[in-house]
This record gives sequence, structure tokens and C-alpha cells, in this order.
Amino acid sequence: MSELFVELFSEEIPARLQVNARNELKKNIKNFFIDNQIKFNENFNVYSTPNRLVLHVDKIPNEIKLSSEEIKGPNVNAPEKALEGFIRSNNTILEKIFKKNTEKGEFYFFNKESRKIKVSDLLEKNLSEILKKIAWNKSMKWANYDLYWGRPLKSILAIFNKKPLNFDFSHINSSNKTFIDKSLEEGMKIFNDFHSYLKFFKQKGILIDQGLRKKIIQNKINEIINKKNLKIEQNDRLIDEIVNIVEKPAVIVCDFDKKFLNIPSEILITTMQSHQKYLPTFDKKNNLTNNFFVVSDIKDTKGFVKLGNQRVIEARLSDAEFFWEKNKTQNLVKQVDKLKNINYFKGLGSYFDKIQRMRKLSSLISDDFLISKDKIEIASSICKVDLMSDLVGEFPELQGIVGGHFARFQGFDKEVCLAVSEQYLPNGMESKLPKKMYSVALSLSDKLDSLVGFFGINLKPTSSKDPYAIRRMAISLVRLIVENEIKIKLKDLIVYTCSVYRDQGYEFDIKKIQNELSDFIIERLKNYLKEKKIRQDIIESSTFLLGLDDILKAYKKSLCLNKNIKKEIGIETIAAYKRSSNILNTVEKMSTESLGFADPGLFKNDYEKKLYKKINDIRKYFLSIGKDENYEESLKILSSIKNEVNDFFDNVIVNDEDIIIKKNRLELLNMLCKIFDNYFNFSKIEA
Amino acid sequence: MVSKIKKKTLSFQDTIFNLQKYWSKKGCVILQPYDLEVGAGTFHPATTLRSLGPKPWKTAYVQPSRRPTDGRYGDNPNRLQHYYQFQVLIKPSPKEIKKMYLNSLSSIGINHEEHDIRFVEDDWESPTLGAAGLGWEVWCDGMEVTQFTYFQQMAGVECKPVSVEITYGLERLCMFIQNKKSVFDLIWNDEGITYKDVFHQSEKEFSAYNFEYANTDNLFKIFEMFEEETKLLVEKKISLPAYDQCLKCSHVFNILDARGVISVAQRAEYIARIRELTKSIGKVWIESQS
Repeated sequence: MSELFVELFSEEIPARLQVNARNELKKNIKNFFIDNQIKFNENFNVYSTPNRLVLHVDKIPNEIKLSSEEIKGPNVNAPEKALEGFIRSNNTILEKIFKKNTEKGEFYFFNKESRKIKVSDLLEKNLSEILKKIAWNKSMKWANYDLYWGRPLKSILAIFNKKPLNFDFSHINSSNKTFIDKSLEEGMKIFNDFHSYLKFFKQKGILIDQGLRKKIIQNKINEIINKKNLKIEQNDRLIDEIVNIVEKPAVIVCDFDKKFLNIPSEILITTMQSHQKYLPTFDKKNNLTNNFFVVSDIKDTKGFVKLGNQRVIEARLSDAEFFWEKNKTQNLVKQVDKLKNINYFKGLGSYFDKIQRMRKLSSLISDDFLISKDKIEIASSICKVDLMSDLVGEFPELQGIVGGHFARFQGFDKEVCLAVSEQYLPNGMESKLPKKMYSVALSLSDKLDSLVGFFGINLKPTSSKDPYAIRRMAISLVRLIVENEIKIKLKDLIVYTCSVYRDQGYEFDIKKIQNELSDFIIERLKNYLKEKKIRQDIIESSTFLLGLDDILKAYKKSLCLNKNIKKEIGIETIAAYKRSSNILNTVEKMSTESLGFADPGLFKNDYEKKLYKKINDIRKYFLSIGKDENYEESLKILSSIKNEVNDFFDNVIVNDEDIIIKKNRLELLNMLCKIFDNYFNFSKIEA
Repeated sequence: MVSKIKKKTLSFQDTIFNLQKYWSKKGCVILQPYDLEVGAGTFHPATTLRSLGPKPWKTAYVQPSRRPTDGRYGDNPNRLQHYYQFQVLIKPSPKEIKKMYLNSLSSIGINHEEHDIRFVEDDWESPTLGAAGLGWEVWCDGMEVTQFTYFQQMAGVECKPVSVEITYGLERLCMFIQNKKSVFDLIWNDEGITYKDVFHQSEKEFSAYNFEYANTDNLFKIFEMFEEETKLLVEKKISLPAYDQCLKCSHVFNILDARGVISVAQRAEYIARIRELTKSIGKVWIESQS
């Protein structure tokens, strides 16, 4: 049993691409072993540092045995040259060739005997292909070469069973050597096995295993925060990125001048995290502190690294402070007019036009939400002013949040400030959801305005392209409604939004927008339900009759049926419905002059009468329930009809000889199916 | 400030001298700045045009760069509407370029064994040049000091061979070396002249021009004129003069942008117009190279 050990040395590969390359290499090498029926340790790993992509697989046999096989050659009638070629390519002699009949005629054959192949030979032959198959998310060329790689590839070390594998990959020849110094790419050293390689670098403080690096970073950080009584935010994405941009991590605690803590913390955190890859710290009360972590790729023996990073953050924070001090005092209301100079979108006017529309829209929504019209109008008017600030110019990801801080500083109402902060939330499936009604109203009107606008100028997303993230907007709209249990008439709001656009002189095809946008939002609802692990047939049923105004209902009913579908009430409800609808489907279609109800005068037995009565009871139930329908109760009521249904089918023959009786019974079953529609259309449910 | 200068501090001008000497020894043609207003060292024809076509090329030069929107009237310690880049372009990209770069840092007093030097992913794109490249921004103890890019495309044409471009932000680098918090405190020479002495007035006045006084009506007209001239010269198949006119378009556009008279939609349109010019010039240049 042997090990395969490959190291691909390159210039610094970005964190995301390392992950991509590790996965690809792992997949390709696995496929190679499986395809060639070579045993291997399936728990193998691919490691990476910015400069080294390392593959290590052990428990591989040195040889594999290929069983004998018959190899088909040319047809016996083919020219002699074909036979000669066949003999040559199989490295054999004429005496070993024999003829054999097949369905397609008589052919020459050769019996290839079982033989052993060295795995090292196979690897040498295939490794180049395996590497070529790595599908980079982004790759480049360099110098005169045609090879595409994440960043320039410098050397390949390849070992099997402690011996070098020799192959060419583009312009590079593999060997048993690699560079020790990743910076200057100097000091070639020979390695014959993975463990001596790992050990060698470990002695230099370099950790090839990204998992180990992560552990060491986390342990060190935990040690320090415990000592200092601090906390850090769980941020896996940032930690994973940091892990992949260092090879010998050294955690350094730095600090910045406490005076900067007067700047809103989001600004400080964004500066540290996304711009500098630092980890901010918090005290036990979750307040940001002036301590932060830098993960350096070098031991800071002279203190330069700490000093340098502190200087960088202070320079960045003084910039931010300068803008914060300047922007916070600029009167939000007085700046609203300037939004006229800022284009919202070509064909949809300026941001000033947009906030006028949002103001009207949110004002209408405020009636439904029973919130102050004045306050939501103020929030709408000032909500986009921060787009003109230097701070949002510097930190575009903090739009809204920064505006909220300005509003707070200038003494606006608390709920108004929060609404401004949260206007862009939620932003997709995973994002935080606003709960306060002012925030929800502002976010709703922002999204509705955008959706109607983009559909109005025909910039709907296509199946492959969605450059304006319109899908995300619609998903967010669905989440706002469903997760906050909001009852609004979305259809009316869309029509109203169209009319607000029309007042500004935008002539949209209202009918078209209504239809297309409605379908689009319903599609997003379906995706949303799918994310919530609701059965596909239930999703299809819930959106069959329920439309845009009933998003919340559709969601709740789906959830309720999904929960109960394997329970007694679910099974019975569906059984009762299916028994009736199956008859209706098999018997020739109800004649067009269906009355919609059965005539009790034509009933011939109690089973019909009892079923009729039960149907009417249930119908009354559905007529009496209002907005606060209890969906589980409704399912229970529907399922309670099972006795009457079963008695009916056990004792009554629908297909009566008398056509009038028959028709009346079909009408009865039709009535039965119709009352089920009060929940939703069950015809798409699979039993 | 003057009295505090230590003998050993590398001045702004010495930093430039050292880099020039270093890259000269590496075989680069040391050029002087291009004599037109440009937004970055990349716009120098020694980079844009010379990176196209098959002929090998090595150069290094200082390029004054103008970014009208970054002006702050000399009030901000980190922002300037006019600053210096030190630019290196080598085609094809040499195998040992990283080593060469790290040694160039040593030549200005930054030892990579004492500092945390990082190559942080930063892919570059210039919509006006129709150019794109992959590479990094280089951080020194957390401060970005260099852009390091392998050109993949220039003027809409795939680069073959690939050039490598190294762009040092000279002010940033010197602030790091001299340990200064404000660009205006940088020591320019050993006589105690500071960056402020040399450029503060210019920052103030040009910010006023860029943001307040530039005559936008005229500039719109001038843009059209330069554009027309570029097209004419492209027809005549003289790429270098055509490129000059195109650079002028680009600068006029930058001022208009700073004046805030170009809307988002217009912006994209102007950028596309400049890109079309660059592409047509690139074609003429490549033809002239074979």
C-alpha cells in the first residue's frame, strides 16, 4: 500500500479560489480511482495555503490486476491493412488472432490476457488530465503560456510510493522538489513523502492543513478574549477567509483610539471586517470595544505589524470620523430637494421621484397597518437622502443604516429612524427581517415601487439573468408579508403603484404589469414554500386558486396541510376528496348545464340525504369563519365528512340507470368537491 | 516638522530614485511621465499600447495621476486629486516577478521578513480602456501599497503574451516608510521640503476648479471635438496621436464627472464611447506592430 502526494506551488491564490480548487481536485482524483477500479482511502484530504495546493491519498495498491478481455478487431472482409494495424496496436502476432461470428458479421478478435498494471504508470499517464479538469471559478494566463490556473503555477511535486512521478503539465515538469520560501520562491528541497513534508513546514511554523490553521487561530483568539473578558461575533465567512490567506497565522491584539467609538459602530465594524479583515471585539454587553484582532502571516518580533495595522485603522477611521461629523449635521429635510439630481434608474426618474411615489404608497399602507400617516410620510421623504452622503459613498453597504443614524442624531422620531435603517431589509432569503410596522411599511413600499417600475420598463429578469436582483426583491416582499403575518391587498397596491407612476407621467401597460408581476410574485412564493420544505403537490395546490391577495393564507394553509398530511385528518380529508373527484373524473364530463347543486327532491335514500346535509353544514362553517380562520380546525371539519362519504359510496351506485338520478348524484359529488375548495384545490394533491 | 527629520528617513524623491535605479538594473526602460493628464499610470501609452501585440517590453516610470473626484481642497490627510504612481510593466511576465517586486521593496527599506506582506485578491478592470486583469493589491502591515496585475485583456483584445503591471502608490508607500499620518507631512527631500510645500496650494485650487469652476458647457463641447479628432486619426491609421486625443476625452469626462453634471445613465454611455475609441486605436496599433 502506498501514498500519493502532490503539491502544486503557485503565486498567491485567493481564498475563494482555493476552496474551489480543493473541491475540484478532490472530486477529480476520486473519480480517477473509481473509474480505474483502484482502491484508495476515501477519507483523503486536499489542503491548501495561499501558495500550495496539496493532495494526499494513502492506502493505494502499487499494482492493479486487469482481467482478460476479448478485443474486437476489423471485419474479416476489411482490407488487409486494417488487420495489420489491429495486430500492431495490440502488440501481438497473427497466430494469436482468431475469427468469430457476431450479429454484425464475422470479425477478427484478439484475446488480451489478464495482466498487472503499475498504479504509478497510470498516475503518470493521467495526472496531467486530472489537473486540467479542475474547473476554476476564475482563472488566468501568464507570460507566454496557454495554461489557465488560479494564479501563476510555478512547480509540481508528485510522489507515489516515495518515488517521484514524472509527467508534464503544460510547460511544467513534475519532480520531487518544491520551493521552501514562498515569498522569494527560493530554496528547492526534495520531499519523498507527505509526513516529512508536513513536519518540515511545521518546524518553520507553516501549517499546510487549513483545518489546523483554523483551530489554532480560534484557540488563540478564545484564549485572549477569555483573559480580557471580551467577545467576538461568530463570523464563519470571515474566519474561513482569514484561514485561507495565511500559512503561519499569528494572532495580534491591536487597538484604536477610544474616541472613534463615538462613530456608529456599523461603520467601524465594516471598516474592520470587510476592508481590513480584522475581527472586532465586543464587551459582555455587546458594545463594540477599541480592541481588535489582526491575523498576521508573520511573527511580529519587532512590533512593526501591530504598529502598521493600528496606523492603517486609525487613518481609515479618521476618514470615517471626518465624514460622520460632516454628514450628521447636514439637515436631512433640507437635502430632500437635491435628490432631484440623482438618477434612480433610466426611465424611472430621480430618487426624488421615487420617494414621492414611496410616500403615497406607504401612506396608503399605513391605513391598513393602523400606523401614523405623518410618521411614515416623513420616513419616506428622508429615507434616500443618505445616498448623497460621503459616508454612503465610502460604505455603500451601509446605505439606510447610515441614514438611520443621521435621523437619530437630528432628533427624528424613534420609529422613523428605525424604518430608515431597515428600509432595505430583508434582502433575500437569509437576511434579517424587520418586525416593526413602520419599517415593514417603508420596506414594502420601496420594493413595490421598484418591482412595478422594473416591470413597467420591461426589465424583468430572464431565466439566466437578473442584473437588478429583482428576484431577491420579490422574495423579500413575500417574506415581509408571510413572516410578519400581514394582511394586505397586494393586487390593489400594485394597481395603485401604477397609478402613482402614471401621475408622474409614466405610461405603463397596467394590465400587463398586473399579470406578469402577479405570476412573478406567486413564483417566488412557490420557491419560498419549497425552501420551507413543503411538498411540491401542496405548493401547486395552494397557489392554484389563491392569488396575490392571499399570499399569507396560501402559506398558512400549505404549512398546515404539510404538517397534517401524514396524520389521520390529512389522510381522511384527502381520501374523502379523492373518492368523489375520481368518480367525477371517470364518468364522462359533467354536462355543461351543471346546476352547481343537487336537488334534494330527487334523493332516493338516506345516504344521499345525510351527505347532502353534511355538505351544507360544512358550507355554513366556511361561510361563518372570517379572517381568523383556524386552518387545522378547517381540515378537521373537512375530514369529518368521511363517514357520510364512505356510507354513500358503499351503498349508493352513482351510475343509476335513470339518467336524471345519475346526474343528481354527480351534482352532489360536485358540491362535495367544491366545499373542499374553501381550503384549497385538492385535485393536485397526490394521495 | 523640519527639525524632526532623521538623517536616515528616505525622502519622497529618494524613494523614486531608488525604485528607478532598481528597475533600471532589471533591464527596464526608464521613461518619464506622459505629458498629458491621465487617471493612472496604466493610461501611459507605454503601458496600454505596449502591452498589446507580441513584442517583449520592459519599462518603469513615474506617472502623475489625476482623479478630479478625489480632490478634498487639501483638507483630507489621505486624499488628493493629483498624486504619483510608480509604474512597472513587463511583457511577457517574468517567472521571478514576485521576487523582483519584494526586492524592490527592500531597496526602499521595507524588509519582507519584518513586515506582514500580503497578496490580497484584487481583480482589476478598466471600463474606459476595455481592459481587465487578475492579481492582487499588496498589503504591508495592513496598508495597501501596490497593485499587482496580470493583464488578460487590453483595448478589448486578449493579451498574448501576458504583461504584468506593478503600480506603487508613491504617497501611500512613503507615508508608510516615513511613518506619517498625513500625506502633506511627507518629507520631499533632504532639505526639509514637505509635500505640503509642493502641492497644497495646487490641491486647493484644482479642487475648486474641478468641483466649482470648470465650464461644463464648454467641456461637453470639447469632449465631442476630441472624440471626433480621435476617430479621424484612427481612420488615418496613426495610433499614437489618436490615443492622445482619446486620453483628452477621458480627462474631460473625469472633470465633468467631478462637477456632478453626468447622470448615472449618461456615465455608462460616456464610458462606452471612450472604450470604443480605445478599442479602435488598439486595433490600429496592433496592425502597426506586425
